[in-house]
Amino acid sequence: MQRTWSLSGPLDWMRYINKYVEVKAGTSEEREHCGWLLTVDPVSASLVLVNFGEVGRASVRVVMGHVVEKVEVLQEGDQEMVDRLQAILIQTQSSDLDP
Amino acid sequence: SISSSAVSDADSEELQREQHARSVLRERFLRCLLAMANKKVHFHMFEKVKVEATFGASDIDVLNFQVSDLHTPIGVQKEALIRCQDVISLTFDL
Repeated sequence: MQRTWSLSGPLDWMRYINKYVEVKAGTSEEREHCGWLLTVDPVSASLVLVNFGEVGRASVRVVMGHVVEKVEVLQEGDQEMVDRLQAILIQTQSSDLDP
Repeated sequence: SISSSAVSDADSEELQREQHARSVLRERFLRCLLAMANKKVHFHMFEKVKVEATFGASDIDVLNFQVSDLHTPIGVQKEALIRCQDVISLTFDL
């Protein structure tokens, strides 16, 4: 059985990265969210899901860690998908993280 | 049996792997927050509340989001803080 999502550690979360996952969140409506997992915030356990639309467009959903009940892998990511997800992160690299 | 020093070596190696994973995940998340800044974001909150706002920033513990032009049912709030505990998910387009 899966341990509570927010109590899993970074090594556990890492196993879901770059995979197409289904997230079950603890609310009655819109309980399920699917997408390619870009990252999990190690502080809040929030997931960042990406869904690709038309050429060059992507929709990003952040599911807050405190509502997550279960995460399931539906599809493994191939190298092409890993590259596409990496490209999304590179889009943001122009701005520096340093204050 | 394993000597105590061997155990602590294995522990520190495990810790190092964990810390590396933590930093990779956190950097990716911070880059997502950067990408979100100044974008229109839809918040899905408890009690079926859906609001739209321009994303500003998050505090380091991800307890509050700072937003501008928060569209509420009773009008537009120029500046606001949203408690993350009240949020289920948020979406934006890249």
